[in-house]
Amino acid sequence: MANSRRNVGSRNRRLGLVLTAGVAGMLGLAFASVPLYQLFCQVTGYGGTPRTEVARSELTGARGDGQMIRVMFDANVNKRLEWQFDAPSGERAVEPGVESLAVYTAKNIGDRPIVGTATFNVTPVKAAQYVAKMECFCFTEQKLEAGQEMPMPVSFFIDPAILDDPNTQDVHDIVLSYTFHPSVEATAALDAERETGGS
Amino acid sequence: MAYGAAEHHDDHHNPTGWRRWMMSTNHKDIGTMYLIIAMIASLIGGAMSWYIRLELAEPGIQYIDDFQFYNVLVTAHGFLMVFFVVMPAMIGGFGNWFVPLMIGAPDMAFPRLNNISLWLTAAALIMLVLAGLTGGGPGTGWTVYPPLSSIDFHPDAAVDFAILSLHLAGAASILGAINFIVTIFNMRAPGMTIHRMPLFVWAILVTAFLLLLALPVLAGALTMLLTDRNFGTNFFNVAGGGDPLLWQHLFWFFGHPEVYIIIIPAFGIVSQIVSTFSNKPVFGYLGMAYAMSAIGVVGFVVWAHHMFMTGLGADARAYFTAATMVIAVPTGVKIFSWLATMWGGSIDFKAPMLWAFGFIFLFVVGGVTGVALANAGLDYVFHDTYFVVAHFHYVMAIAAIFAMFGGFLYWLPKMSGKMYHEGFAQLQFWVFFIGVNVLFFPQHFSGMAGMPRRIPDYPDAYYGWNFVSSIGAAITVVGTFMFFVLVWQALRSGAKAEANPWGEGATTLEWQVPSPAPFHTFEDQPDMTGKAPAE
Repeated sequence: MANSRRNVGSRNRRLGLVLTAGVAGMLGLAFASVPLYQLFCQVTGYGGTPRTEVARSELTGARGDGQMIRVMFDANVNKRLEWQFDAPSGERAVEPGVESLAVYTAKNIGDRPIVGTATFNVTPVKAAQYVAKMECFCFTEQKLEAGQEMPMPVSFFIDPAILDDPNTQDVHDIVLSYTFHPSVEATAALDAERETGGS
Repeated sequence: MAYGAAEHHDDHHNPTGWRRWMMSTNHKDIGTMYLIIAMIASLIGGAMSWYIRLELAEPGIQYIDDFQFYNVLVTAHGFLMVFFVVMPAMIGGFGNWFVPLMIGAPDMAFPRLNNISLWLTAAALIMLVLAGLTGGGPGTGWTVYPPLSSIDFHPDAAVDFAILSLHLAGAASILGAINFIVTIFNMRAPGMTIHRMPLFVWAILVTAFLLLLALPVLAGALTMLLTDRNFGTNFFNVAGGGDPLLWQHLFWFFGHPEVYIIIIPAFGIVSQIVSTFSNKPVFGYLGMAYAMSAIGVVGFVVWAHHMFMTGLGADARAYFTAATMVIAVPTGVKIFSWLATMWGGSIDFKAPMLWAFGFIFLFVVGGVTGVALANAGLDYVFHDTYFVVAHFHYVMAIAAIFAMFGGFLYWLPKMSGKMYHEGFAQLQFWVFFIGVNVLFFPQHFSGMAGMPRRIPDYPDAYYGWNFVSSIGAAITVVGTFMFFVLVWQALRSGAKAEANPWGEGATTLEWQVPSPAPFHTFEDQPDMTGKAPAE
C-alpha cells in the first residue's frame, strides 16, 4: 500500500473539508428548522395552531345533523402590557360548518398609547387543525390610545371534518385562547426604558 | 511509507518543558492533558453532587438556603460531568491516546487541530466557572429551557457565559470529531480494513459521527438563545411570535445523541477489557460494530421521548415510544455478546474486568428502567421524578464512569509504564460499586413515590430513601478519593509495566509497543494484511 505522504496529506484535507461541509449543513438545518417548524405547525395544527386567514369560500355550511361543539373563550395579557383584555362571557354551542363571531374587548388602562399583538392557541391541541379563522384581531397589530377601549372581533368556523376524524370523536369542547403582548417594537421600547429607568 | 515522520518536524528535537505541553501536537501528550482536565472537572462536579446530597439527606433546609444557588449546583453538575468529565476523558483522553495506536498510525491526521481542540476545551471549562461566579449563576438545568433561561428570568450574564462555554466546548468536540473520522478513515495500517479495527476504534468512529451531526444543532439553538437574550430576536419568545417548544426540539435533537456520545465510547472500552480478560476474541465482532452504528442512527429519531409532557399528539407519542424501545434491540445485542465473550473464556478477575462487569450490571439496570420510561403513559407519571434521575445516572452517568475507571486501569501501564496496586484497586472497585448502588438504587423508590427532581427540600415522607441515598453518596466520596490514592501510588511507586502486562488476551496493537508508549510510535506502519479482526 503505497501511501506517499503527500497523498495522505491531501486525502486528509479533502475528507476534512467534506466533514466541515457536513457540520455547516447541520448548522444550516438548525436555523432552517425555525421556519420549517412554523410551517409544520400551521399545516398540521400541531401544538394547538389553528388555521388562519381562511377564505370565506371554504365555509361549507351546516350538515344539518344537529351535532354541536361547545366553544369557550380565554383571554390573557402579558404583564408588561398595561391593558385590560376580556373574553366574551360564557360558552356557546357552535355548529360545525357555520360561521361564528366572537367579540373580545381590550382597553388600554395605561397612560400612553401602545401597540399590542395577540398570540393564539386552541385546546385541545388535536382539534386545532379543524378550527379555521377567517378574520381575527390577532392577524394584525392593534394600537390603543391611553384609556381607549376597542372591540376585538374574531370570525371563525369549525370544519365539519372534525366529526369524522376518529381522533377527535371525544372532543365536545374547544377553547380559543388569546394572549396580548406588547408588539416587538413596543417591547424594544420598554426594554430601552428599563435600561435607562434608573436615571 | 513512513509518512508520519515528515508531518512532525520536531522529530529529532522534541519540545521540552512547558512548550511540550502547551504547544503539543502529540496525540499521547494531548490525551494525557484531556485526562487531567477530566479529573479536575470530576472533582468539582463530584463535590457539587455531594453537596446536593448533603442538603437532601434530611427534609428541611440545612445548608443551601439560596435556592437559585441550588439550581446552579444542579446545572453545573450536569454541564461539568457531561461536557468536561466524560467527553474529555473518553473521547479526548482515551480516544487520542489509543485510536492512533490501535490502528497503527503515527499520530492523528491533524495534530495542530488536536491542540486547538484541547485548549478550546480548557477555555470552555474556565468560561463555565465564570458563568457560575457571575451574578446569580445559571440556574437553568443543563437543558437551558426558555423561558427560564430568557433574559426575563436570568437577567445577568451568567447564562450568556454558560452558552459561550458550550459553544467553545462544542467547537472543540466538532474539530476533534473531524480529526478522528479522518484519522480512522485514512491512516489505518495497511491491511487493517474497517472490519478489522478494534471495537474501541469503531466506538470512537460512531461517536465522532454523532458529534459531527448533533453538536452543530446545539450550536445553532444556543446562538438563537443568545440573540434572543441580547439582541432582540424572538426565536423562543412567545410575545414576539416565537415558540419555546422549538428550543426543546432542537435541544433534544442534540441531547439524545449526546447520551450515546457518552456511552458508545464506554461500549468500546468494555469490549476491549472483556475480550482481554476472558482471553477470547469478542463474540460477534460485526454484530457489535453494527449494533453501535444502529444505536447511533436510531438515536437521532427518538428525541421527543424527552418531551412526552409537552402535549404531543397520540400518534407522535406512539411513534416515539416504539422507536425508543427499538434501541433495546442493538443494546441487547451488545450485552449478550459481552456475556457470550465471557462464556467459556478463561476469565481473569483483574480490576479492569471488575469495572467492566460493573458497567454491564449498571447498564442493564438503567436500560430496564429506560424501557419503562420509554412508554409515554408511564412517563406521564415518572416525568421529573427521582425515578428519571436514577435511570439516567445508572444507564449513562455511573456506567460511563465505570468504563472510564476500567479503561484507565487497563491502559495505565501503557500510558505511564507503571502498574497499579491490584489489591487496592479491587478494594476501590467494591467501595465505589457499593457506594453508587446505595446512592442511586433507592432513588427508584423515592421517584416512584413521587419525589420531584431539582428541589432542595421535600416532604418528610421521602426522608428514608433520601437518607440512604446520601449515605451512598458518602461511600462514593471515599471510593473516589481511593481512586486518586490508587493513581498516586501507581505513578509514584508502581512496579514497572511490561509491554503487555495482560497476557495473550490483549491482542490489539497498543500492546506491541513498549510501556510507557514512546513519544513516537508506528512511524513505520505494521502490516496487518491477513490478520484476524483485532478483537
